[in-house]
Amino acid sequence: MTNKHFACKVEDVPTDAAKIVTVSNMPIGVFKLNDGFHALLNICPHKGAALCEGPVCGTTKETDSTEFVYDRAGEIVRCAWHGWEFDIRSGEFLVDPKVKTRRFDVSVEGSDIYVHM
Amino acid sequence: MFTVDCDCHNYWCSATVLEPYMEEGLFKDMFLRGERTGPRGAFPHGHRPWFHPEGFARHDVQPVEEDDNYAIMKEKHLDKYNIDVAILTGDEPIEASTLANPYYANALCKAYNDYMIDYWLPKDDRFWGSIVVAPQDPHLAAAEIRRLGSNPRMVQVLVSHGANRPYGDPFYHPIYEACAEMGLPFAMHLGGQGGINSTPIGAGPTTFFWETHAILPQTAMTHMASLIANGVFEKWPSLKVVVIECGVAWVPSVLWRLDANYKALRKETPWLKRLPSEYFKDHFRFSTQPLEQPENIQHLWATLEAMDGENTLMFASDYPHWDYDDVNKLHVPPAWREKIFGLNALDVYTRLPRPAAQAAE
Repeated sequence: MTNKHFACKVEDVPTDAAKIVTVSNMPIGVFKLNDGFHALLNICPHKGAALCEGPVCGTTKETDSTEFVYDRAGEIVRCAWHGWEFDIRSGEFLVDPKVKTRRFDVSVEGSDIYVHM
Repeated sequence: MFTVDCDCHNYWCSATVLEPYMEEGLFKDMFLRGERTGPRGAFPHGHRPWFHPEGFARHDVQPVEEDDNYAIMKEKHLDKYNIDVAILTGDEPIEASTLANPYYANALCKAYNDYMIDYWLPKDDRFWGSIVVAPQDPHLAAAEIRRLGSNPRMVQVLVSHGANRPYGDPFYHPIYEACAEMGLPFAMHLGGQGGINSTPIGAGPTTFFWETHAILPQTAMTHMASLIANGVFEKWPSLKVVVIECGVAWVPSVLWRLDANYKALRKETPWLKRLPSEYFKDHFRFSTQPLEQPENIQHLWATLEAMDGENTLMFASDYPHWDYDDVNKLHVPPAWREKIFGLNALDVYTRLPRPAAQAAE
C-alpha cells in the first residue's frame, strides 16, 4: 500500500539539478527530465552521502574505440561526494546496476508534485 | 568517541588572501604581478599533468565568500560528525614544493602559515595547525620550522609527498634536525606532482586521473624506504613521520620486502640497528583516508593487522575532497576504533590536550 505525499511545486524543480525535499522524514531529490519528473532517495548506497545534490549531467557511452560519445545528457546524477553515477530514472549505479538508490513513483496534479511511498 | 581528524583542508576561495601576509619586496611583487598558473587568485605552483574531471572538492561544498569556507566546514563536517580535533592541512600551499625558485616557494609558505595562524586558528578551538614548508631548500624550511615551531597550536611540519628526491636523502636532514629540535612530527600529504617534482610516477606519466590517483602511493613507498634506509630514525630517535592520503594496504608488502633484503644486505647500511619493519612501527603513522575498499573486508583487515594498524593508523577525513571518508562509515576493526579515531593521534601529536577521561589514566 503506497501513500502519496506532496513533495514540491512543478516550478520549484530546476532542469540542471534536483530539488531536495523532505517527505515523510526522508530526504528526496526530485528531478525534471524530458519525460517528466523522477524522485530518488537522497542517500547514496555507497557511503550515505547526499547523492541527489551532485551535478545532473550525462556521461560517456561505452565504445570500442577512443571516440568519446557524450550520452544521456541530463539523465545521470553524480553523487555529491565521491562522484558515483546513477541513472535518475532507475536509481541504478552505472558501474554495477545491482547497487541502487531507492526510487519513488511520482505523479503531478496541476502544479503539485507527489511522491508515492 | 574522541575523534581527531588528521587531514582537514582549510580552503580559500582565492589565494589573494595571502596578499596581506606576503612581506613587502620582491616576492610580494611576484605574487601580485608575476606570471601565474591561472587568473588572479591562483596559487603559484607547477600543476600536475592530470586534471580531475569534476574538480577536486565535494560537489556539496560550494563556498562563495571566504568566510563560507569555515561556515560550511563547521556545518557539514566538524559539528555533524563531532570532530574533537581537526588538524588543518591547508590545500594548495603544499604545492609550493613544485616551484623551481626555492626562495619564492619559501615566501609563499611563510605567508600561508601566517595567514592560517591569523585567520583560521582563532575561529575554532578544535583547530590545530601544520607548518607548511617548501622542502626544495631544506635550510629555509628548517628556518621556517624554527620560526613557528614554538607556537603551541602548531602540531606538525607538512610537505607534499611529491618531491624531487626521496625524503631519506641527507639533503633533507636539516628539516628533521629542526623537527626534532621543536618536537614536531614530519608529515607528507599526497600532492606536489608537478613542476620540479618530475617523477611522481615510476616508468613515466600515466594517462588518466583515476588511474593515476590510484597509483600515486608509489611515491610514498619510495619515501618510506628511503627514510628508513638512510638512518633518519637512528639520527633522530624521537622523530615521527606521518603519511597522509597515500593509501595503506601496500605498506605490509613493502615492509616484507625491505626486511628480507635487509637481512641479506645490511652491510650497505651499517648505521641501521633494527629491521626496517621495526623502525616503521616506532616511527611511521599513516592516515586512513582513502581507506581501500575490497569486496571482502577480511582481506583488508588481515593487511591492516600485518602493519600493526591498531597502532599505526590515524583517522583522516580529507574534508572536503571528492574521496572524503565519513567518520561513521570507516571500515576498520571495531576493537581498534578508539585508537584509530583519536588515541593514536594523541601519541603522535603530543601538543594536543588529552581528553579528561584519558588524562585521568
